[in-house]
Amino acid sequence: MSKTTKPLWQNPWGYAESFLIAFGLLLIGFLLEFTIQSNSGTSIRYPMNLILGGVFLTLLLVFYGLLKKSKLYLFLSGIPASIGAISMLTLLVIIMGVTPQVPMQDKNLITKLSLNQLTTSWPFLFINFYLLVILAFVIIRKSFPFKWKNWGFVCSHLGLWITIFAAGLGSGDLMRLKMDLHENKTEWKAYDDKGNYYELPLAIKLNDFIVDEFNPKLAVVENETGKLYEPSKPSMIMIEKDLTAQLHNWSVTIGEFLPLSGRAGDKYHPLHDFGAAPAAKVSVSTNSAEALTGWISCGSFNRPHESLKLNDNYSLLMTVPEPKKFSSEVTIYTPDGKKEDKVLEVNKPQSVNGWKIYQLSYDEKMGKYSSLSVVEVVKDPWQIYVYIGIFMMMIGAIYMFWRGNKVTINSEQ
Amino acid sequence: MIWNYFLMAAGVSSASWILSAFIPKKDIIRNLLVLIGILSMAVYIGFLWTSLERPPLRTLGETRLWYSLFISIIGLITYFRWRYLWMLYYCLFMSLLFLFINYLHPENFSKTLMPALQSPWFVPHVVVYIISYAFLAASTLVAVYGLYQVKREKFEAKYMQVADNLVYLGFAFLTFGLLFGALWAKEAWGHYWTWDPKETWAFITWMGYLVYIHRRYQKPGKYVSALWILALAFVILLVCWFGVNYLPSAQFSVHTYSMQP
Repeated sequence: MSKTTKPLWQNPWGYAESFLIAFGLLLIGFLLEFTIQSNSGTSIRYPMNLILGGVFLTLLLVFYGLLKKSKLYLFLSGIPASIGAISMLTLLVIIMGVTPQVPMQDKNLITKLSLNQLTTSWPFLFINFYLLVILAFVIIRKSFPFKWKNWGFVCSHLGLWITIFAAGLGSGDLMRLKMDLHENKTEWKAYDDKGNYYELPLAIKLNDFIVDEFNPKLAVVENETGKLYEPSKPSMIMIEKDLTAQLHNWSVTIGEFLPLSGRAGDKYHPLHDFGAAPAAKVSVSTNSAEALTGWISCGSFNRPHESLKLNDNYSLLMTVPEPKKFSSEVTIYTPDGKKEDKVLEVNKPQSVNGWKIYQLSYDEKMGKYSSLSVVEVVKDPWQIYVYIGIFMMMIGAIYMFWRGNKVTINSEQ
Repeated sequence: MIWNYFLMAAGVSSASWILSAFIPKKDIIRNLLVLIGILSMAVYIGFLWTSLERPPLRTLGETRLWYSLFISIIGLITYFRWRYLWMLYYCLFMSLLFLFINYLHPENFSKTLMPALQSPWFVPHVVVYIISYAFLAASTLVAVYGLYQVKREKFEAKYMQVADNLVYLGFAFLTFGLLFGALWAKEAWGHYWTWDPKETWAFITWMGYLVYIHRRYQKPGKYVSALWILALAFVILLVCWFGVNYLPSAQFSVHTYSMQP
């Protein structure tokens, strides 16, 4: 073997230097984290983020203008540097993927190095910044002079750069607040995680809050512990009218099913009342014993639930129905005197005055009778730039799909 | 009924695919048999879709049905494009394996779908991932086969081109999967990316293939290291797909629907 190896740090730099630099950045980051922990609460807001972004861009261009012939530029815009940075970021993200990312009170090595909150740590910031620099030089190198055959490359890489840049700088300007809407009341104040209140340039009146529910399910529980009994699957069966189903060893037949009912005397009657609950008349039989008949109900916030005792060990019960859809019918007022009727629903946010309004939750104890609807209001002025970046990456992906391995075949020639 | 029809459809698919392996010489008949198996899965998924009144994409078992369908389709397409018979059989074997896992673990075919999943982004998000995973799984087999041929000193550069092509297509779909997920999350919750464990692992997978692509682009001649990177990337993909639920980080994931009661 007479393979000649280049001494470390002698030009041109290759993989060894690339990995050492990226690893060094991580090391410095962790040392910094160990000595002065980054404060996860601070974020750079407008106009500071815009200034910093501008300075960063200017520095990149100045560096390119002055040093485009240097070996450092060639290294930073080359593939070994990219692979080194990608690998070290991957290493960091793998740590993130294995350890739970939650705030912890204890003082130990994990919290000292912020391994439980890596996204707001120094090493994560350093490696991302380094990657952004490399990516910028890669794009510049491929773009000047511009050749049409490189458009797919530039599109995907620039898209990624814009996405990271805009999402990173924009995170300080992102406002995510909650609003508690009560039926027939108008609300214009929203609060953040720490309980600070903000006045919004809009007011929302909740006209009606509607929960659409699935039918409740049948389940068998252990009498002593109240635990779900599931020797066989399925252990829960959705109640339907005239359903006959096998639940473990029992054959269950639904005689009557009342979505809204109340108990009067020894049976349930249909009832359209505040707090009316689903109920079903069931017959249960086994091979050995004779049929057992009775009413079960999951109850509601003001009505008791009722189960059917199958034997000394087990009871049949009705589960609380799960929501199929919940939505808020609202009127939104803005300072210019306009008012608009809108419906807020999960996955269907509404945009008003630069704010996006999302249906979040409701009073789950009250279930379908909840008069409270919690919505989230989000303002993200940088969203459009992130979308441009994502859109460019999608075009890049289509290009990649179309060209396939022609990219490498060409580079071999 | 859903279960009995599954047994029927999976039976037809298995029978036609296994049969196709015994007549490798008769091109038309074999392709026809493969196609019958694919159609049987497609019809069953269509039936499941209509009878559940929602896209059957919620449980691990249902995702496996789609995986089984797409991997066999892609196997056939790859065969038409590249004429690698072993690839076709590999894909059919994988499809059968997924059907068999479903047979061993019948999932609870519940009608419930939580409101957060009721989004038009849901189907494309999962479908592009499944197409992507199928391409990348196929590329892994090329990598393993390539490494084997390297050992036998019978390696040919054209294997690399097949691997590249599969990775490029798979990576394009993987990118779409990540971006669809980000856009969906923004629509549903107001943020693109929360470093949820599944997202974290999907990102690691993406980075793994990114390393392969860049390595290939720079040093097309050094295929052994590229092949190892490719094989390793698939291990990460498997962690992302199956392993995440068992990691300590997964306790707070929004992607563990199958664990909910």
